[in-house]
Amino acid sequence: DDAELSPAVRRLVMENNLNPQAIKATGPGGRITKEDVLAHLEGGAEP
Amino acid sequence: MSKNFDVIVIGGGPAGYVAAIRAAQLGLSTAVVDNFVFKDGEPALGGTCLNVGCIPSKALLDSSEQYHKVTHTLSAHGIKAKDVELDVKEMIKRKDKVVKDLTGGIAQLFKANKITWVQGHGKLLDNKQVQVTRHKGEQETYQAESIILAPGSRPIDIDAAPLDGERIVNSDGALEFQEVPKRLGIIGAGVIGLEMGSVWSRLGSKVTLLEAQDQFLPPVDQRVAKAAQAEFKKQGLDIRFGARVTQAKTAKNVTVHYEDKNGKQSIQVDKLVVCVGRRPNTGDLFSEDANLLLDERGFVNVNEQCETNLPGVYAIGDVVRGPMLAHKGSEEGVMVAERIAGKPGHVNYDTIPWVIYTHPEIAWVGRTEEALKHAGVPFKSGTFNFGATGRARAMEDLAGMVKVIAHAETDRILGVHIVGPQASELIAEAVVAMEFHASAEDLARIIHAHPTLSEAVHEAALSVSKRAIHKAN
Repeated sequence: DDAELSPAVRRLVMENNLNPQAIKATGPGGRITKEDVLAHLEGGAEP
Repeated sequence: MSKNFDVIVIGGGPAGYVAAIRAAQLGLSTAVVDNFVFKDGEPALGGTCLNVGCIPSKALLDSSEQYHKVTHTLSAHGIKAKDVELDVKEMIKRKDKVVKDLTGGIAQLFKANKITWVQGHGKLLDNKQVQVTRHKGEQETYQAESIILAPGSRPIDIDAAPLDGERIVNSDGALEFQEVPKRLGIIGAGVIGLEMGSVWSRLGSKVTLLEAQDQFLPPVDQRVAKAAQAEFKKQGLDIRFGARVTQAKTAKNVTVHYEDKNGKQSIQVDKLVVCVGRRPNTGDLFSEDANLLLDERGFVNVNEQCETNLPGVYAIGDVVRGPMLAHKGSEEGVMVAERIAGKPGHVNYDTIPWVIYTHPEIAWVGRTEEALKHAGVPFKSGTFNFGATGRARAMEDLAGMVKVIAHAETDRILGVHIVGPQASELIAEAVVAMEFHASAEDLARIIHAHPTLSEAVHEAALSVSKRAIHKAN
């Protein structure tokens, strides 16, 4: 659900066509932080 | 009256009274033992904060700021007031009424929550017993399943300037002057010294602050501290650094001798306020056979959950480690009450906001640039001056800035530092952001109302990634 994403996370998810459910969330209450998306993108770049 | 309770709290300050209310809300039978007596002779809840700390100092800061506006800054708006009179006694009376209303309010809350208020000194004995010495001297022993120690702190005295209650006073006394001292000396340029200095300076005192350290406000981000220092200098606060007071001699006035890097110096003042710090009230807090453990600095030894070495005995607020701030003590009180009731409780010590109520105000949360450099954490920062916001211009209140510091790689906000109008209110947004692990970009992408002072926070967050709109990046 988009409404649960913070503004920076929403931007990254839209820009990179990501599925938020595939991102490991470390924020309070299971929220995805910007750090989490960046880590996800970095991990995704690996072969 | 029953002398057995689920919870006995020693101390009715912001840590203790909040702990008691939360415990009562959770269905625990609760008593608070408090020995404070207001200057009118009436026992009063609220502790240091309500009686001789946060609230009375803010009451005087607000009154003195109104006076300063009328006499100094309203003319910029085209408002001219003639023959403005200052009635210090009336100002002090209003402050006392504010205090009375609020401490009376806590007594009402205690009644509403069926909390027993025991007036007297509480002392922890062995086996979770509390000995109460009533104001008239008689003693009683109370017993509880859980005990919360919240005895607070008191001002530190120094041998070089012993208090005489007349010319040499501590922060309590500085809230009670019945006329404006012509010249006011303050030992210590920390939060309390700056606030007391601001009150009396605005009312016309020539204020000199003697600070032993070489640095201004070491816990504050130094760029923000420097900006504040420049403003205080403009206001006429004379802050002298590296000044170690050796002796204060009282005659018709006070001669304060001190040493700095240039050698021996002295100043003459009419009143001297000693504001060098506060120490925990552990003096008569527990009997020897209670075996309560103190740490090496004299604070009650506790873990992250405020548990002492004794099972079922907790300690919170100024008597334990951490910043001596009312809201810190209150949150510890909530945590402990919830844990006693078998619920999870937690205090996030990384997001405790600090405020200094000068004008401009100083407020911050999280870490400073200096601390991050020291820890080797890579960061980036953005700043924005209030002078570039329309709201501050309209208010004719231009001094100050916001600084947002974020992690260089993750963009997570690590600290926000503000000096400027209403910094005390603006910092709340930063605390919420940090509590949600927000990035600087999150803050930058959130809509801020226009025109408001909060736009300076928005622009500083934008400035972290060099995309502030209202300045050249």
